[in-house]
Amino acid sequence: MSDTPSPAPAISVRELVVAYGDRRALDGVSLAVPQGTVVGLLGPNGSGKSTLLSVIAGLRPPQQGEVRVLGEGRRPARRRRVGVVFQESCLDPLMTLHETLWLHGRLFGLGGATLRRRIEELLEGFGLAERAREAVRTLSGGLRRRLELARALLPSPDVLLLDEPTTGLDPDSRRAFWELLRGTAAPPTEVGGMAGEPRSRGLSVRGRGLTILLATNDVQEAERECDTVAFLYHGRLVAQGTPAELKKGLRHDSVRIECIDGKAAALGSAVAGWPGVGRVTSADAVLHVTVDDASAFVPRLFQTAAEAVHAIRIEPSTLEDAYFELTGASVSAPEGEGTA
Amino acid sequence: MSGAALTVGAWGALLARDLRAFLRSRSQLSSSLLFPLMLLAVVGVGISEGLEPSRVRDGDYVTFLVPGIIVMTALFSSTFSSASFYQDRDSGMLKVFLVSPHSPAAILFGKSLGAITIGSVQALAVLAFASAVPAIDLAWQYGVGPSLLLALATVLGLNVLLSGLAQVLASRIRTMQGFHLVMNLVLFPLLFFSGAFFPLADLPGWLYGLALVNPLTYAVDLLQLALYAEGESGYLGIGVDLAVLGSLAAVLFGWGLRRHPMVD
Repeated sequence: MSDTPSPAPAISVRELVVAYGDRRALDGVSLAVPQGTVVGLLGPNGSGKSTLLSVIAGLRPPQQGEVRVLGEGRRPARRRRVGVVFQESCLDPLMTLHETLWLHGRLFGLGGATLRRRIEELLEGFGLAERAREAVRTLSGGLRRRLELARALLPSPDVLLLDEPTTGLDPDSRRAFWELLRGTAAPPTEVGGMAGEPRSRGLSVRGRGLTILLATNDVQEAERECDTVAFLYHGRLVAQGTPAELKKGLRHDSVRIECIDGKAAALGSAVAGWPGVGRVTSADAVLHVTVDDASAFVPRLFQTAAEAVHAIRIEPSTLEDAYFELTGASVSAPEGEGTA
Repeated sequence: MSGAALTVGAWGALLARDLRAFLRSRSQLSSSLLFPLMLLAVVGVGISEGLEPSRVRDGDYVTFLVPGIIVMTALFSSTFSSASFYQDRDSGMLKVFLVSPHSPAAILFGKSLGAITIGSVQALAVLAFASAVPAIDLAWQYGVGPSLLLALATVLGLNVLLSGLAQVLASRIRTMQGFHLVMNLVLFPLLFFSGAFFPLADLPGWLYGLALVNPLTYAVDLLQLALYAEGESGYLGIGVDLAVLGSLAAVLFGWGLRRHPMVD
């Protein structure tokens, strides 16, 4: 059924309001996620990402608004089509891997030979087959995440909700996680391994029309993995588009300048007037400057103010900059810039 | 798969999981039986021999104690199992259950099956032990079959009641420590005022009054009628007991299912 073109978006959310006491975690969010796409929700902690996912997952009823998954609004029916990987690990450490998957399959109405085959397939495909009879507590963080992904995919959901799935994982585990999700992973090893020949396991994101909504505050992850990205800020959706669309109109490069003590303020107001310079922000002794062309800006900086500069770093503009441009807040470090 | 089959399958899986966890935990398995049996032996024999009680049949306090110890076993066991609700919440498993295609009430029902089953089996294990010991002289006044059936019904009803109570408390108390504190605060007095340790018939009025508002009293009364008593005078009676225990169990259990579980 997921192959037939359907006008219904995979996820459709309208005017969602969720309040905890006086604080509105979601303040009128509307979002449509087309089938078979990967959509990122980008925002700092507390911007409403987790709340939005838990409402879509049917874990929490909204005070106002409507959620539909493939046109289905009723909660138990909706949940049948949705797989969730929560932000924190949600596993029983004393159960074995096999038991974990079996229980989940039973909850979703799978059973018998079908369930056995599906569990074997997933354990095999996720490089967990050898550990199947071991307790979950013996798994590393990366393998636990992998098990949780396998569990979410077990009932063959149409929609997958991922809440910061790679937070806290080492880079190898992160890569392995996404390789698995894209269905192109080589038989994975504990450290992730190098990608070998692509294998089709029926898990391929685009191949089978699986729709993914990914909450993240990892800008690179969002740029790399998502077709479109939505910015959440204080429970509101402030922008949505492809990474390229969202970055359109931004200055090209971002220069981070660590200044000698006490020189940041003066340097900041000096460079702000230069041609090709966009936003200048400072935190303690660090200046962030967005510029059209770092190769013109940096020589000038050293000609005029070398004595004030301790170190610089040049980066191409990212969604982080786009987010800042729109909201004046940072995605990854809500407590203040400078700390990054 | 139809909705009903889906739900029953889920209940079976949740029950199987809790039973497996219980059987795996050897310490829980042994301590939950050893403690009641030890109490039965030590307190029972100690009081029988040391105090020579004249108001229990033949001065045999051990046999008198059997119904009370069965109730106590169910009490401890089901409280202990209900703690698994907290473990599931803290581990995040409860969230995973709640995003499956079942109502919260259906999930809570499935979760309580484990506590009810484990509590009932343990209570009946104590009964099996007591019937096997020659020195313990159970009367089985309605005949072994009917008396056993009555005991089964009582143990089951009691465990349903306790599971409902635990669920109601768990929806209001955030931490497992708090839950255990409240359970101990509630359960020990309930046990002491239930007639589990002494016959109610000759108690002073205030104590008798307290016993009558205690749900456990009716379970102890039923078990004493089924297992220990010879005759029904001095007891509350099967009809009253079943009515009170049954309706309380239904109300508390139903109430417990309607509480939305605290997820975080």
